[in-house]
Amino acid sequence: MLAPQRSRPLAVTIGAGLSLALMLSACSGSPEGGDSADGTIDVWAHSGQASEAAALETLVKEFNSSQDDVTAKLTLIPEADYTSTIQATSPDELPDVMEMDAPTMAAFAYDRKLIPLEDVVSSETLDNRISGVKESGTYNDATYAVGLFDVGLGLWGNKTLLAEAGIEAPTTADEAWTVEEFRTNLAKLAEVSPSGKAIDLGEANGFAAEWGTFTTTPNIWSAGGTLMKDGKADGVLNSQENVDALEEWASWKEFADPNTSGSAFPDGQTALTWTGNWMYPTFSEALGDDLALMPLPDFGNGTKAGHGSWQWGVTPAAEGNTEAAGSFLDFLLTDESIAAMVEANAAVPGSTTALEQSELYGPGKPLELFATNLESACSSDDVSADCIAVARPVTPGYPTVTSSFGSALLAIWGGADVQGELDSAARAIDSDFSDNNGYQDE
Amino acid sequence: MASPALLLLALFVAVPFVAAIWFSLHNVRLGDPRAPSFMGITQYVRILTDPDVSRQFIDALLHNLIFAAVVVPVQTALALSLALLVKKSIPGVGIFRSLYFLPVVFPIALVAIIWRLILARGDQGLLNSALSFFSGGAFGSQDWLGSELTALASVIVLSIWQGCGFQMVILLAALQQVPAELYEAAELDRASAWQRFVHVTVPGIKPTLVFVALYTMILSLRVFDQIYVLAKSGGGLNEGATRTVMYEAVTAAFDENNIGRASAISVVFFVIVVILSVIQRRATSEKES
Amino acid sequence: MTQTQAQTPTRVATKPRKISRRTLASRVPHYVALLVTGVLFLAPVAYMIAASLAPASDTLAGFAVFDVTQWGFHNYSGVASSLSTDSTGHLWRFFAVSFTVTVAVVGLGLIVNSMAAYALSRLTWRGRGQALFVILLLLIVPFEAVAVPMFYLYNDARNTLWIQIVPFIGNALSIFIFYSFFNGIPRSIDEAARMDGANPWGIFWRIIAPMSKPAYASVAILTFLTQWGSFLWPVLMISDPNLRPLPLQISVFAGQLPPAWGQVMAFGVLLVLPVIVVFLIFQRWFIEGVASSAVKG
Repeated sequence: MLAPQRSRPLAVTIGAGLSLALMLSACSGSPEGGDSADGTIDVWAHSGQASEAAALETLVKEFNSSQDDVTAKLTLIPEADYTSTIQATSPDELPDVMEMDAPTMAAFAYDRKLIPLEDVVSSETLDNRISGVKESGTYNDATYAVGLFDVGLGLWGNKTLLAEAGIEAPTTADEAWTVEEFRTNLAKLAEVSPSGKAIDLGEANGFAAEWGTFTTTPNIWSAGGTLMKDGKADGVLNSQENVDALEEWASWKEFADPNTSGSAFPDGQTALTWTGNWMYPTFSEALGDDLALMPLPDFGNGTKAGHGSWQWGVTPAAEGNTEAAGSFLDFLLTDESIAAMVEANAAVPGSTTALEQSELYGPGKPLELFATNLESACSSDDVSADCIAVARPVTPGYPTVTSSFGSALLAIWGGADVQGELDSAARAIDSDFSDNNGYQDE
Repeated sequence: MASPALLLLALFVAVPFVAAIWFSLHNVRLGDPRAPSFMGITQYVRILTDPDVSRQFIDALLHNLIFAAVVVPVQTALALSLALLVKKSIPGVGIFRSLYFLPVVFPIALVAIIWRLILARGDQGLLNSALSFFSGGAFGSQDWLGSELTALASVIVLSIWQGCGFQMVILLAALQQVPAELYEAAELDRASAWQRFVHVTVPGIKPTLVFVALYTMILSLRVFDQIYVLAKSGGGLNEGATRTVMYEAVTAAFDENNIGRASAISVVFFVIVVILSVIQRRATSEKES
Repeated sequence: MTQTQAQTPTRVATKPRKISRRTLASRVPHYVALLVTGVLFLAPVAYMIAASLAPASDTLAGFAVFDVTQWGFHNYSGVASSLSTDSTGHLWRFFAVSFTVTVAVVGLGLIVNSMAAYALSRLTWRGRGQALFVILLLLIVPFEAVAVPMFYLYNDARNTLWIQIVPFIGNALSIFIFYSFFNGIPRSIDEAARMDGANPWGIFWRIIAPMSKPAYASVAILTFLTQWGSFLWPVLMISDPNLRPLPLQISVFAGQLPPAWGQVMAFGVLLVLPVIVVFLIFQRWFIEGVASSAVKG
């Protein structure tokens, strides 16, 4: 039999493991909710676009060195799990300040994970917000979130390739291509695009994730449909307009580049890409004057675009010392901070004064289209032909809405029957709403 | 002396399991300040009969069963072939033994990411490049993970690649236990290689083969990691064609915050695991007796 | 395990001498088969290594990734600098977390489960029969079946190190492997020790445990493999980058936009390297540990 001495190294390894465990938990400083009393606030933000996360890290550092009273500790959580993570974290374990995607705000307010900001953030900051940001931060008539920016979704083109195919790029919403023109152009552009594919539709971001809802809802709004009306999805989400719009969308797959590399469009491999403002810095650096920004195609009810982006709220963990949280948000919402952030993601600045000073937005400037889109904004319940920027539904049940719709989108992209998928998504949403008493909040 | 282990098992297996049954009868939402409301067996009725919810669940179950139906025989056969290949102690065979076992030490999350790049659609992925190269361009590029037809098959392939070495080692040990005299006797009887395989090898390792098949089947029912990584981190996996029961449970709990339904799925999942284990054990023990 | 070892060498020694030329010729197809399967098994690993060394533009450009002239270590320095702040998590910490969790679960699991198995196999106590029955029942409850309720029940322990460790220490399969092994040790050995005045603890620590190294090895290796690759539970419970284990981190890293695939693959190489080293050193233990678990299971 083998010698019995062997248990000693085992004991040593276990001992080493345990002491390392102690060490790790001692210095982990895990987000243990608000230790705001000692002037430290925990901050959670999503990490999706590398440049955006880097800009935020810089802002936090600047905030910490700008004054001595409050230290903000930033934790970056991957975008894919961000919303689920907050959902899974109980209010007292949350950080003091957290970022959230606009449409999820209502769900967190409903779960008492956010506190109203009227007494937390200064009134100058609140009054200076552009209307789109105001709207997407409001739930039950109170402000639960403030944002540094709003978002723009558009169709970007490579002018050289467009010219090669003999196509002129529309610049204003009125000139948007009809969906028939868009389809014809895709076929033409596929021939001139080096990859053989005309467009990157953002498939690599995952249509089952929030990206899917954000990027395809303009199609259904533009076709005259919407996601929900009066807390009901059946008969709305699965309407004929939506089915036709998504059938059309799925038919673009033959022209779509999978963009696994993440740089098909800036590398000049495809003539078009369908994405948001945050890609502008990359695109303009790669393509320069060759870059064109166009409205999304018009399905009949006028071109539409999404609105409502990442924004910030304060949690009950900060209660008792909301001043520190407020000072951090006031800092984030200064024109200087906003300018630094939008330099990284080229979003529409969220304060009126920052918007006026912007080098990207305003008459004749490169991203004018996004700002003008936001001027005629409306809610998802009531989409008129005149409005362009539409907000996703503000309801505590939104996580179910987007998760059901996203699953349907992914299946549709994979070739599944559109009507069947939307019928089933609508029923799933309605049954969740009825389980939760329609998410009536007081 | 048994108390620490029994206490831990009670806290982290038995209690959660009983809790799952309770949760499955209520509308439980994490972080909801309102108390859970009783809803009877509604969750079960939904996942089993409501056309929408059940369709996803039945699909998921079906994917698990297809996965098991393919992986159990294929992986066992492949593992046995590998074990036979490396059984003979010829020079250098040790290297190959380690090589086939190597993927076993790869976390499946990493395996999924490596294969996601290899299987990338268009001409970007290594597999499409290789196929087009060796077929002289005749073989068009496939969307392996995105297409309804190949998505599950792709997941199966990468899972077999990762798991096969484990079974190989188990079978190899069993092969080495088969007495050499039996082979020598068979050789004297002028039995062909195939006859020796059927009449000496297979009976000799039968209990191990059964164990490996059972073990692989349980693993097939538990598939989750690779599906989650490929579907969530922009892997382009066709979720509808590959979702599994565990994937359903986790997304219901984590993304939709529907702990009640997720628990009901867990309970049904457990019942299925038990039924299949019992059936398989019974079938094999009958054959043996 | 001693049996298998004893058999192999004799075969090596005798066979080639008996029929050497014929075997040489017959070995050619054998080697070809070994090589072909070997290449197929190695290809994904080779791809990972190549992609970790190739420039980003070659990762997804077919065979270009194998262009050795373009190789360099920039992806490795890239991953080190990408993961170097408290907000993103530090590269070294992901390793420290995975290492700590794995070592703690394996080490504590060996002690706790072998003790339980000893009590079940050798001691007489009230409820022993029931306890054994319950453990046999628990053997078929996979962790996945209780992951969701645990996610809810232990929600207050989100983002802690202990919640990654403690639930996995007690393990019915480990107990069962130990129990079967201990049952195979002749009771006369305990009896003799008892005659010499040893108490149950002494018998366990000084006699039974040292005699059961194969069982310890197989449990250690099985636990190690499951724990090092653990993914489902961290997905549900860990959002703090400073407490994220490696498999979760690599999926997080792969989900970043724009994806830096070269760096992801470099991270992958770093992730498996320590395991491969451990595997190569303890290769025999690995293989025998896995193998003997089957005989017991």
